[in-house]
Amino acid sequence: MATMQPSYEVQSFRVIHPLQDAIEKKCSSQGLGPMAITRPVRVSLMLLRGYLIAMTLLLGFYIFGVLR
Amino acid sequence: MRVMSGTQNDKGVVVRRSWQKNLLTFSMVFGPGLIVMEADNDAGAVSTYVQAGAQYGLHLLWILLVLLPICYFVQEMVARLGIATGKGHAAMIYERFGKWWGRFSLFDLLAVNFLTLITEFAAISLALSVLGISPFLSVPVAAIGLIVMVISGSYLRWERTVIALCLLDIVWFILAAKVHPNWAAAARSTLVPGLPPGKITSSLIFLIIAIVGTTIAPWQLFFQQSCVAEKRLRFADLKWARLDTLIGATFTVLVAGAMMLVGDFGYRHGIPFTDPAQLASAMAPLAGELVRKGLLLLMVNAAVLGTTAISLASAWAYGEVQGWEHSLHKKIWEAPGFYAVYIGCVGAAAGIVLIPRVPLQLVIVSVQVFAGIMLPSAIIFLQLLLNDRELLGERWVNRPWNNWINWTIIVVLFALSLLLAAQVMLPKLFN
Repeated sequence: MATMQPSYEVQSFRVIHPLQDAIEKKCSSQGLGPMAITRPVRVSLMLLRGYLIAMTLLLGFYIFGVLR
Repeated sequence: MRVMSGTQNDKGVVVRRSWQKNLLTFSMVFGPGLIVMEADNDAGAVSTYVQAGAQYGLHLLWILLVLLPICYFVQEMVARLGIATGKGHAAMIYERFGKWWGRFSLFDLLAVNFLTLITEFAAISLALSVLGISPFLSVPVAAIGLIVMVISGSYLRWERTVIALCLLDIVWFILAAKVHPNWAAAARSTLVPGLPPGKITSSLIFLIIAIVGTTIAPWQLFFQQSCVAEKRLRFADLKWARLDTLIGATFTVLVAGAMMLVGDFGYRHGIPFTDPAQLASAMAPLAGELVRKGLLLLMVNAAVLGTTAISLASAWAYGEVQGWEHSLHKKIWEAPGFYAVYIGCVGAAAGIVLIPRVPLQLVIVSVQVFAGIMLPSAIIFLQLLLNDRELLGERWVNRPWNNWINWTIIVVLFALSLLLAAQVMLPKLFN
């Protein structure tokens, strides 16, 4: 853990600012590709896609109508 | 420099006591949680909360108490994801859900953010006009100030400036005290849910949805994750990031409550509400000049906070998806695309507000509907990412109770967003 390393003195702590600390190895998506999702989730996302497109178009038509 | 009997060498500060270590670590981590929450009390939020108080008195205060844990749960997930991956939200959607969702999320975010920015500058223009400053002076000066805030090439300088602006919102508590609310009634209305007397009208439904929509906004998800990544928070910082988020959520809800109390003064004295600037002027003979000027200046502060955070959310997200350098640590010539997006958003929104006869009311309504449509789907992606064991492993994924709470939030938000969209598109539906 890079945050608080016990220093050379007993009962003392070194506190390092995150921006000055060593960079941690994070959870990386490199090489993983798109997330593996189950069929129900895939179908739900397709429905969500349709819903979002429909609502965005509806809002666009509404704005267009008001502006006219 | 010596801090709390500690000594600073070339890397870090040495302290002797455990509480000193905790306090110092928290002070170093503190920032993104407060900023994301308080910046959400932007000009639109000021208008919504003050309107709620002015039209319905203290009757809607309880909604804020309900929204407090929702804000915290959603933003805690964002902070956790940012710390675990060190990447922004837009980048994660792009990488884990493919180009279509990545681009669609980015397009929606940029569009709703830009519309919101127009409302922020409209508020600056309106509030300072009432104080006698021409929009042709106030809007360009505000835009230049907002650009100068970020181009110094220092994340910490920007963060400290914005935290100071957030803390200025403490003045809302002074204004609330100055208008002498009925504290016992306020406490009762906060703790006991209820609706205003009379029948449920479409304007009441709209206002309730607007309160929910203005308290949790899509840009917040993108902003806090990018901010946490920008600050390079470490795994061990998670508990402090959670505390930062909790403090931010609590402070924001308290400030929102103070705004409602200020609006309630208008309700008690029968002052009709058009917008916060008009209410401030109408309140002046009864509440004093301090309240009038305070309300107007706090409206400007809210707009400035909202503008810098929302523009940064757009710039970070665009930079992540494009693969550009996207950091406040970089000088302007080291990350030209990132700074161009920020400057472009601020400059274009400011320019639009100066165009005569721009339909600002239509922009405000469109922002609320667009954000309402986008928010539940944005949280769905957050929820899916926080269940991505392949990416996060067991340590960072949601626990089952997290998932139950979040799916409940998503269902409620979907219902509200449908209601909002239906009400705007079909205004006679509830009459």
